[in-house]
Amino acid sequence: MMEPLARAYEHSVAERPKDGGLFGPGSIVWRVHRDRSFPLAAIRSLMVQALHPLAMAGVAQHSSWQRDPFGRIAATAGYVLTVTYGDTAAAESAAARVRTVHTHVRGTDPVTGLAYQASDPELLLWVHAGMVDSIVHVVQRYGRSLDAADADRYVAEMARFAEIIGVPAARVPTGVGALREYLESVDLRQITPAASEAIGIVLDPPSLDTLTRELWRDLGQVAVGTLPAWARSMYGFGEPPPELMEREPVRQLIGALDFAFESFPGVLEARERIELRTRA
Amino acid sequence: MARSPRLIFASVERRGELRHELALRTADDVVEELGSMKGALMKLGQMASYIDEDMPQTFRSAMARLQHNAPPMSPELASSVIVDELGAAPERVFSRWDALPFAAASIGQVHRAITRDGRAVAVKVQYPAIARTITSDVRNVALLRRVAAAAFPGLDTRSLIDELGERLREEVDYRLEAENQELFAGYYDGHPVIHVPHVVSELSTTRVLTSELVAGTRFDDVLHWNQDERNMAAETINRFVSRSLYRLHAFNGDPHPGNYLFHGRGRVTFLDFGLTKHFSAEDLAPLADAVRFLVIENDGERFRASLERAGFLRAGAPVPTEVVVDRFGLFYATVLRDSPMTITPAYASAIVRRFFDSRGPLAPYSDVPRAYVVLQRINLGLYAVLGSLHATANWRRIAEEIWPFVNAPPSTPIGEAEAQWEKRRQGEQLALDRSA
Repeated sequence: MMEPLARAYEHSVAERPKDGGLFGPGSIVWRVHRDRSFPLAAIRSLMVQALHPLAMAGVAQHSSWQRDPFGRIAATAGYVLTVTYGDTAAAESAAARVRTVHTHVRGTDPVTGLAYQASDPELLLWVHAGMVDSIVHVVQRYGRSLDAADADRYVAEMARFAEIIGVPAARVPTGVGALREYLESVDLRQITPAASEAIGIVLDPPSLDTLTRELWRDLGQVAVGTLPAWARSMYGFGEPPPELMEREPVRQLIGALDFAFESFPGVLEARERIELRTRA
Repeated sequence: MARSPRLIFASVERRGELRHELALRTADDVVEELGSMKGALMKLGQMASYIDEDMPQTFRSAMARLQHNAPPMSPELASSVIVDELGAAPERVFSRWDALPFAAASIGQVHRAITRDGRAVAVKVQYPAIARTITSDVRNVALLRRVAAAAFPGLDTRSLIDELGERLREEVDYRLEAENQELFAGYYDGHPVIHVPHVVSELSTTRVLTSELVAGTRFDDVLHWNQDERNMAAETINRFVSRSLYRLHAFNGDPHPGNYLFHGRGRVTFLDFGLTKHFSAEDLAPLADAVRFLVIENDGERFRASLERAGFLRAGAPVPTEVVVDRFGLFYATVLRDSPMTITPAYASAIVRRFFDSRGPLAPYSDVPRAYVVLQRINLGLYAVLGSLHATANWRRIAEEIWPFVNAPPSTPIGEAEAQWEKRRQGEQLALDRSA
């Protein structure tokens, strides 16, 4: 399961980039995006994003991700890492590819009866906001230090991320508060059968070895605990016991998973490339 | 430093090049790199690699990669530990301080320095914040046990995790290592061929261990020495191991060849006492009995009874005693006959294979009790070392000098010198006892 993720990691961090890319080695984006708590942020992101019925319908009707959830997650991770750590040309061509794919993703959501298309800036903004909010929340709670000012700066830097995929700059929130207000202002938020099914797979993916499966399930419980109250109640999850959410044991859980992840060829080397470029 | 000898202090568990360009710059960096289970899992893998041949390949290569890559502390960070522990910057505490470490240690690194009174020393400096995070990690037994159960399906994970916890708690307190090292250093003081560097106790704390700096030749280079020299080096290593066990009742538990420095004519310096096991008389008695009954008295039944008493063999196993003698006898092959024997790499690997044999007739009934795990580990490592030296000696005669139940006269020139040292030692001890 981790192998496609490891390959995405290895390939996204170029060995000889032509420039510092969209953000640059000194950016907060660079710092935050190598945090080891990223798998937890990813689970939370998916859980938030799935609560927009049109965003969910686009994924459910146009991708084979149920058959290969980690392949799909690896593709998304590869995109995020390339836009972050790739040079400008690599970031732009990755974004162009995704935009091309999006033009073919259109249809009608069976629950709301509304038509959707993946290139709709409103849907792209929702997906962006769900991801950025999750990263901020998870990294602040379980990652390396990210104070309030840096969190705001991170959200502002990430506006670029939304723009290259097709969200008008003026629409993108540039602070943590504005981001959360935006998420809570989206009236269409609701649980759909497609979202329930998707989240069932995310929380307990098929074909994992026993150990990874257990660790991943535990991580999923923690992810549920990090959700905003409105999202948790839409899914019908209770609040997990506080001892499950304590920083130290969660970091240990993340560390054990990350230990396995780092054992795949290329991961450590990619992390070293990032570190060395940050220090240069 | 006036002269700059070739210095190799080799308590190196991570054997890779020190990656100074990736140096850890803050305590936060350390926690990120080695906290959150990472250090604990590395240690677990390292322990298991000695006792589990069946460790899954992915995990084995993960260990190798991670050990290879863990970076050193930056000069500033190492300096801040010295300030915390010894009260001032290293440049003030020492008359000379080498800001770049020259070796990695399991949870720290080693710097060269010269004390204010002119002694050349090796200063082992522990990563900051590591003790707290490791202590918290080993308390998360549930998670460790799950990882261990998946990574080492054949092993008793509970005893492995217990052992890990004990090991790490010992490792984070350098005072224990200092105490053990001093025990060995004091015992071997004045020994003609065995040397253990003394600890500089006034410059040692929980997180800093300062000891006498020793220069010598590395194991890999000794492999090119002539056979006579290699035999003498091997004899000394063998004497050190048996003497420490039978006379000092303590075992320096890391048989890694990097922990020896060689000086020619059989003189060897022994380094790294981070893994020392002490044996009580009761622990030792059945082991000594097993040797005595098998080798000296040739009494298979009583040999078997000692193995059962030690817990190596389940009592009442439906296996004839000849088979027990045949299977376990391999471990005593070097001392079975009173004649010179060459220890070859083939013999060393036969021992390892026999030890981990899960298909032999005794496999269902044999076990290594926890008290002896370290001992086994040393024995296997010892044979590997002696095997790569292609060492020849009359190992039986040497052993008989040291076995307390034989106390034979010296059988080699090194033995002669050792006997004189021991006589002097006992004289001093006697004088000390009288004056007390």
